[in-house]
Amino acid sequence: MPFLSRVLPLSVCLALTLLAGCAPERDPGNVYRGALISNLKTFDPAQASDSYSNQSQFQIYEALYEYKYLARPYEIQPCLAAALPEVSADGTVYTIHVRTDIEFQDDPTFPGGKGRKINAHDFIYSIKRLTDVRTDTYGWWIFDGKVKGLNAFRDASEKLPALPDSIHPALYDQEVEGLRALNDSTVRIELTRPFPYFKYILAMPYAAFVAHEVVDKYGPEFLNHPVGTGPYVLKEWRRGLRLTFARNPKYHHGFYPTEGSPADSAAGLLADAGKPLPFIDRAELYIFNETQPMWLNFLRGNLDRSSIPKDNYSQAVTPGRGLNEVIRKRGIVLNRMWQLDLTYICFNMKDPVLGKYKKLRQAMQLGYDVETVIDRFYNGRGIRAQSLIPPELAGYDSTFRSPYGEYNPARARKLLAEAGFPGGKGLPELVFLTVASTEARQRGEHFAQNMAAIGITVKVESCTWPEYLERLQVSRYQLVGASWMADYPDPENFLQLLYGPNKPPGENNASYQNDAYDRLFEEMTRLQDGPDRMAVIRQMKEIAAEDAPWIFAVHRVAEILSYQRIGNLKPHAVAESPIKYYRIGEGK
Amino acid sequence: MLSGRLYSAMEVPLLLESVIRRLKRDKVALVAVCVIGLYLFAGLLSLAGLLASGFAEQVGEAYAPPSWAHPFGLDVLGRSVWERLVQGSRVALIVGFFSTAIAIPVGAVLGLVAGYFRGWVDALVVWLYSTLDAIPTILLLLAMALVLPTGKGLATVCIALGVTSWVSTCRVVRGEAIRQKELDYVRAARSLGAGNLRILFVHLLPNVLHLVLVQASLVFVYSIKSEVILSYLGVGVQNFPSWGVMIDDARLELVGRGVWWQFAAATAALFVLVLAFNLFNDALKDALDPKER
Amino acid sequence: MLNFLLRRLAHALATLFGITLLIFALFHWVGGNPVLRLVGKSATPEEIARLTHRMGFDRPFWVQYFDYLGDLVRFDFGRSWETKQGIGEMLADGIGPSLSLALPAFAIATVVALTVALVAALYRDRWPDRLLVTLAVAGMSLSVLAFIIGAQYVFAFQAGWFPISGWEPGVRGLPFLMLPIAIWVAASVGSAVRFYRAVFLEEMRKEYVITARAKGLAWPRILSRHVLPNAMIPVLTHLVMELPMLFTGSLLLENFFGIPGLGNMSISAINASDLPVIQTMTFIGALLYLGANILGDVLYAVVDPRVRVG
Repeated sequence: MPFLSRVLPLSVCLALTLLAGCAPERDPGNVYRGALISNLKTFDPAQASDSYSNQSQFQIYEALYEYKYLARPYEIQPCLAAALPEVSADGTVYTIHVRTDIEFQDDPTFPGGKGRKINAHDFIYSIKRLTDVRTDTYGWWIFDGKVKGLNAFRDASEKLPALPDSIHPALYDQEVEGLRALNDSTVRIELTRPFPYFKYILAMPYAAFVAHEVVDKYGPEFLNHPVGTGPYVLKEWRRGLRLTFARNPKYHHGFYPTEGSPADSAAGLLADAGKPLPFIDRAELYIFNETQPMWLNFLRGNLDRSSIPKDNYSQAVTPGRGLNEVIRKRGIVLNRMWQLDLTYICFNMKDPVLGKYKKLRQAMQLGYDVETVIDRFYNGRGIRAQSLIPPELAGYDSTFRSPYGEYNPARARKLLAEAGFPGGKGLPELVFLTVASTEARQRGEHFAQNMAAIGITVKVESCTWPEYLERLQVSRYQLVGASWMADYPDPENFLQLLYGPNKPPGENNASYQNDAYDRLFEEMTRLQDGPDRMAVIRQMKEIAAEDAPWIFAVHRVAEILSYQRIGNLKPHAVAESPIKYYRIGEGK
Repeated sequence: MLSGRLYSAMEVPLLLESVIRRLKRDKVALVAVCVIGLYLFAGLLSLAGLLASGFAEQVGEAYAPPSWAHPFGLDVLGRSVWERLVQGSRVALIVGFFSTAIAIPVGAVLGLVAGYFRGWVDALVVWLYSTLDAIPTILLLLAMALVLPTGKGLATVCIALGVTSWVSTCRVVRGEAIRQKELDYVRAARSLGAGNLRILFVHLLPNVLHLVLVQASLVFVYSIKSEVILSYLGVGVQNFPSWGVMIDDARLELVGRGVWWQFAAATAALFVLVLAFNLFNDALKDALDPKER
Repeated sequence: MLNFLLRRLAHALATLFGITLLIFALFHWVGGNPVLRLVGKSATPEEIARLTHRMGFDRPFWVQYFDYLGDLVRFDFGRSWETKQGIGEMLADGIGPSLSLALPAFAIATVVALTVALVAALYRDRWPDRLLVTLAVAGMSLSVLAFIIGAQYVFAFQAGWFPISGWEPGVRGLPFLMLPIAIWVAASVGSAVRFYRAVFLEEMRKEYVITARAKGLAWPRILSRHVLPNAMIPVLTHLVMELPMLFTGSLLLENFFGIPGLGNMSISAINASDLPVIQTMTFIGALLYLGANILGDVLYAVVDPRVRVG
């Protein structure tokens, strides 16, 4: 076939040229490459208990509300809801309109493989699923005791046989008093009492919309088959290596924010105001078990964004807190943000010695050299905490000073003597519990060294993370090193840590009990943000500082490095790395 | 043992004497023994509180490099690496001693009994050690360290190492016992009416003692090396400097800050001790070798 | 032969039973009440008790044990407590990276050790022998931690010859694997050299070698015709017995070099007290050991028929 053999190559050439000419100008670099410093566990929103799972999940799943990208202090905006909730005058009834123009991503589960529209019942189902004991979720606490009738639903679910065998729709069809869909687009939530921060709960990853058909179909493997409404869909998950997300073609309800501070505007963060999201077609998240490889890959330009491992800090940041010249020349920029967190050392108030002597606890606060901790263990990234509330959260006051919020060994010794233990005499050896990691142990040894300097003998004991959690839950410790990161940006999230009724197995690990504090706390939960609420919070901080159930240590600052080519990047402490806002191309 | 001589219980000192005589002639062995002696001396002194008692105190700037005042430099909390090193040798020797003291008698007795009686006793012992041996050692050690009621710490490490490392001793002694029980001297003892216990401990034991000695030395080294790894993984010695803890500390500061002295010191201390034991061990094997005795 | 095999298998089964019992008993009491970590924040004691009951953790030890055995027989390893992923799938994910490190490392280490041992044996008691044996003893004495941390620091971090850590599937993974493989070889070759050297020396002392030597046969011929074939038996047995090392040997290496294999998984599981995963890893390690043992016995029996009788 001489003809074909001559013509074929020609036609192939022609076709290739045509294809190349017709193909849209595709930017091969429209890919974002981020890092997770932990193995991703699951894509089930009910199991989103760590920040890495959160980060991966909310590229796919969405809840009624989401955090505004640029606003500080942090605020929420409607996502799957049509508007902010309508709250009754007494603050207990929330009426929320759910958008009905949004569809789940396509999945074989749905008829014809086409994702169906979401509705109010999906929200009800998702919350009921979170409540169902058989889902085995850490996230139940966000609704525990807050919604009328929901706890009864939980109790009822407990009597059912284990999950994969029986889903029991009968229970799910039963109406819960405080959690109802009035119609396909309206949700009515009745709370047991006012919780002003409830709107934040509705923005948490635990409260994401899941489709019941998908949960039913995949059963225990649901955690590997995410089907959401968000900007991206999961393309590939190579365990222990990489996650690949692709743009969700059906996503059309997200737009870049139009409001921001003058600083945001100056930083070029408002250039895309009002444009449809997302900008990036593909996102890859690489999984690292250790920070070193992540750091090196970042320096080589294989990652777009990275945190700075503690041990590489001096390599990246100058003593003047600027970016090192060599690194800056590679086109890397440094972003800072407050982490909305607090590290502290918790006293077990049930301990016969520590619980009894207030002056002893105060002395230990005074004897703890927090500045050295910040310098040596956090590379100077943080400030000494004077209270429970971190910067950038309502209730934080940079002028507030705890009477014991300084390093003063002389005063510490004096207070120790006043407590009846001059030079530490008469004190038993105290045990400081910490998790078994090199840095946690070193911090413990540093604390012990500080205490030895004022005459108190402290022994460091390290244990695994689960054992640590268990011992906090059963109060089997004397002193424990702890930290708390905000679940939602309301001061309640921190202040509840010392609320009497929250004592173990609740979150009040210290078993701290002060009636005045508890009364103020209850008042605070009823008040909307404003001067009255701030005044109450101030009183609570004063009580906590004086009683010293904790040694307040550090509010940390996070530093994130990114390449300039990633535009629109502003670190967010609550909703970490929302890729949909990023864009590839020179940022400012 | 065929060409070597046989020993009775009374003659055990004789055996030891001949071993010592041979070791004395071996220069390498002498040096090794001296090195081990030095470690032992340092360990004992620190145990008595005479040496390196200020190991927890801050004596200078954090991460100060080696200097005349502090020849091994200082660590993250400004503590003397030298003093921590000395305390670490104490931990190493304690762990080596106690785990050997558990493993060797258990292994030797079970091995003798199994090899001598055979039958179901043998089956049971073999089953027991095959089971223990089949479980990956490091996982078993970690599990033991977590599960023992003594809590985390030195005692737990000793026990965990002791009860997992008798297997090789038992295997070796059992094999030898099986072989020797058919030898003339055992038959003669039996025909003279000696009881089983007597045969086991008065006749057989002295003649497997050379194997037990070598095993003891091996277990000792193995325990020291394992302690470092356990401590490194965070389930070892608590609240006290050990070489493993020091290596764990040093790992971060080495890569991040180029602080090499703690890593170098702990590694060298461990290396020299283990090397000394390995050399001693070889010399011991040679000295006990029946072909040359 | 069949009889011999059956006896070995029966023995292995008994051991397997002991292993599962020991593992289960150990982990039954490890880490306290497993339920506490499943219930999440602010669970009441009643809730904990109910969940304990629902998960079956309040049943008698033996009931739980046989339940566990039943699952094992069906190769159902359950789900991880930590990630809720199926352990079977986790194993499938981890085996590739593990083997990509262990197989080449094991092969190279064996070749290197045999070569070095042969050289040492040929130069017995002369300086090359002394040098090699000294090096071997020194290598045996250096802690594996020192090998890993030191080599990673010097060759990967300072010299920049290798990536510090990481893993990629396929050929792209080669640069990541070179350093860990080299460390494996360096750390394991010392004791192997001493063993093989002893084997070769033993063989070379034998009458027939001495006779052959006296007859004027050249060393290469003696070696390839006589010494090596005869030494194969102990060498092979030794190798087979080392096979389980493929699984445990890489525990620390995988962890340090961020290789997402079974060893790395085991260490994460231990840190998280993820008992189902630890149990499975231990069980698989034991299974490998038993398999290697049987293989070793069979090899031995094939070569030396007397074993079958004894």
